Amino acid sequence: MSSLPCGVRNYSYAEDMAIVRTRTQWVLFVGFLLLLFTAPLYLGNFWLNKINLIGITLIAAVGLNILIGYCGQLSIGHAGFIAVGAYTSTILSSKLGLPFPVALLSAGLMAGAIGLIFGVPSMRVKGFYLAITSIAAQFIIIWIIRHWTGMTGGNYGLTVPYASIGGFIFNTEIRQCYLIIGIAALCVFFSKNIARTRLGRAFIAIRDNDLAAEVMGVNLFYYKLLAFFIGCFLAGIAGSLLAYWTGTVSPDNFRFTDSILYVGMLIIGGLGTALGPILGVVFIRLLDVGVLQLTPALQSAFPGMPGGFTTGIAPMLFGLVIIMFLIFEPRGIAHRWELFKASYRLWPFSY
Amino acid sequence: MTELTQFIVSGLAIGMVYSLIALGFALIWKSSSVANLALGQIVLLLSWFSYSMLVEAHLPVWAAVPLVLGFAVLLGWGIERFTLRPLIAQPILSLIAVTLGIGYFIDGLVNLKWPQSTGALPRIFPTDTIRLGHAVISQEYLWVAGICLVVFLGLTLFYKYHRMGIAMRATADDQMAVQACGIPVTRIFSMSWIFACVVAAIGGILISSIGGISYGLVETGLGAFSVVILGGLDSFVGAMVAGPIIGLAESLGGGYLTPYVWSGIREIVPFVIIIIVIMFKPYGLFGERRIERI
Repeated sequence: MSSLPCGVRNYSYAEDMAIVRTRTQWVLFVGFLLLLFTAPLYLGNFWLNKINLIGITLIAAVGLNILIGYCGQLSIGHAGFIAVGAYTSTILSSKLGLPFPVALLSAGLMAGAIGLIFGVPSMRVKGFYLAITSIAAQFIIIWIIRHWTGMTGGNYGLTVPYASIGGFIFNTEIRQCYLIIGIAALCVFFSKNIARTRLGRAFIAIRDNDLAAEVMGVNLFYYKLLAFFIGCFLAGIAGSLLAYWTGTVSPDNFRFTDSILYVGMLIIGGLGTALGPILGVVFIRLLDVGVLQLTPALQSAFPGMPGGFTTGIAPMLFGLVIIMFLIFEPRGIAHRWELFKASYRLWPFSY
Repeated sequence: MTELTQFIVSGLAIGMVYSLIALGFALIWKSSSVANLALGQIVLLLSWFSYSMLVEAHLPVWAAVPLVLGFAVLLGWGIERFTLRPLIAQPILSLIAVTLGIGYFIDGLVNLKWPQSTGALPRIFPTDTIRLGHAVISQEYLWVAGICLVVFLGLTLFYKYHRMGIAMRATADDQMAVQACGIPVTRIFSMSWIFACVVAAIGGILISSIGGISYGLVETGLGAFSVVILGGLDSFVGAMVAGPIIGLAESLGGGYLTPYVWSGIREIVPFVIIIIVIMFKPYGLFGERRIERI
């Protein structure tokens, strides 16, 4: 029972700032990392594939969480920025032959730069207006990709070579898995730490009341645009990895409904927490796997339905889950986890 | 010249339908400050439902249209009662996200029931052409514009003189005062959703009888946001004026710019307008500028 801290007792500032506080937490933390990085060794390709997808989605969701969860700037165009990253890295690596690390970083920077452009209206408007701006951004970006055929291949898309660093080629699921979960772990750590710095505090102040934050001396212009840049930078990184992982890019991979789903994942997981994106992404992706497994059974169970009807089940379920979470647990699974931890720590005394 | 007339007539007619859909948005926004981002999907669902009635069930128009409107009433009531009412007084992020969830759900529902990606409504209006100078114009567009005008007129009169309409305007103005007067605010919200869905149904039937039903209707519905943004979110006049402007911009832009830029410029015009308006005049032409205080 005493393995988790039951109170706050610090003797130095370093202790006060530590993320991992007790020996048990260290053991759990290292154990989790060990499990995470050895899991690919004994998992089959099916689950490796899912882990890769979860990792890539997680990077994008972490970026969106900084934008929506911490800074309060609603963006429903995240798939558009992921597309920018995917296409930037694809064009750089397949047409110019630039190495993977350069393409990865440029994808992030490019998506960040585009994010800055569409983030400028956040100076004057918020809430619904900003949501509409981001929807417009999504459609404009995808429209340009579809029509700039000389560069992007239009509706047919482009093929992407395997990622490689110094002769080591990431050409199997397992190699890509290490690459992706490595970067995803870095991003989660980054976002966890960003929330504890001056930057994160400024974001939270802006989210809670931007006018009050401005009066207190937070530079709204700088911090809002920085939030857009960081959020879209991570989206670009995710897009680049997605392109390298799937081997092709096409505008159909970045639909408006995907943008909605990213917001949904954050709501389900818990906005403005470091744990939230992880839980939300895993929840939605596992739900997706479950629906896919059930599809053949459903198809044979309802022969009277028109062909291809099962494609509608996943969106219906996702929409339903988003609505249910908003109504019954708007703070997401992360909040439930906190409640569970608190009651475990205090058991059997509930005070 | 001939071309120009054709572009203008079709642009104005489509623009009126945009106004109609945008009106549905403004109705809800004004009474309950909920931004209905599921508008595009609602239009899609109602269009598919009319397809079901008219094509799959072979009903005549006079029987099908009331059924579609009845379904729209049910849909509006259901959405408000089961998703928006539990969320009254929640932060704006939740309200926006819940309509996104509804949109996603309807997306799936449409896929489930009508997996074929396109459908065509039978021509409801006579398609004989009429001559306007040298221009040849399909009569459909005039019918569409006429029906839109009738609906506008009906709604305007309702809002001006009917008890419920006056109560709805009062709710938009000051919710607390309305509650103090004993007007059931929840019923007003419910009514505004029902109205919005009925208006969306009319818009959906009109637009899909001309252009057919496809997933593009969602984008049309989202494009209608450019109307509300340009006209100002809380203004009916704004929606009515801005709709034809957007429609004209779309059809003239699509008609004259296509040789110079990539094809399909038409689809993107509303979204570009959204960005421009939000950058330079975020509260639109007729919107009320709000002053924020801490």
